[in-house]
Amino acid sequence: MKRSRSKKKRRAVPVPIASMGDIAFLLIIFFMVCSEVTKEKNLNVTLPMSENVEKNKYSLVARIAIDADAQIFFDGRPVDSAKDVEWGVRAMLEKTVLEDQRHVQFKCDAALPKETFEPVLKAIAEAGGIIEAVGEKVE
Amino acid sequence: MKKRSRKQHKKHREGDIPTGSFSDIAFLLIIYFLVATSLVKVKTITADLPTGEKQAQAQMDKTPIVNLRETDIFFNDKSVSIEELNARLAALELAEALGSKKVIMLESTRMTSYELYFQALAAISANGGVVALVEEDE
Repeated sequence: MKRSRSKKKRRAVPVPIASMGDIAFLLIIFFMVCSEVTKEKNLNVTLPMSENVEKNKYSLVARIAIDADAQIFFDGRPVDSAKDVEWGVRAMLEKTVLEDQRHVQFKCDAALPKETFEPVLKAIAEAGGIIEAVGEKVE
Repeated sequence: MKKRSRKQHKKHREGDIPTGSFSDIAFLLIIYFLVATSLVKVKTITADLPTGEKQAQAQMDKTPIVNLRETDIFFNDKSVSIEELNARLAALELAEALGSKKVIMLESTRMTSYELYFQALAAISANGGVVALVEEDE
């Protein structure tokens, strides 16, 4: 009985691949819309910890970072001083209209002393930016 | 005239655009975006620091003040831990307060680390306060 069953011919079922290209392009569009190209790769920064940090929900107008060597970065490019940050943020905010468009990301190494980071914080505030200080959540 | 007739008589070749490799290209692009994208959103605290001139000493005296002295935190001149600071700020109900009553002064010494500064800033912001930085007199 079993043998007779195995003799049955199997139908070749073609896999529908006509829509594969459409699906793929749909996925590309999804990633293009959702992705943010990172400008801060290879930054030597140890983030501070706090239990009060939350996921950032604002779109950012600029990204400021200070690495462990106290080098200041504006959107991934090194700058000389806090004054450059102020001018940069001021220039960015000239085009903005809404309150929600004033958020500036601030990333700083946890070990740096006040005299290094506070002038930058003040520069962002002077330029009219709302500081989004990046940290890690304490579990 | 001759040229025209020649042109009109030319037969158009029927050619198909090769679309067979479209899906390959598309998947290649997907792989690129998968590798280049970071879907993890950063965790932040929001601090809108007010800017302006120095306030009169009389008004400063009424405002709660957080002092950071290297590794120690003081709230209104009393030493506190970060948990106690959170509790004291929560007791002030800053989120419901209006105007200048939301303001918490933040003073720090030169050698205060960003770690401690960030924790104090986070505690004030999370409790609905507005941070006012105190500048050292030169």
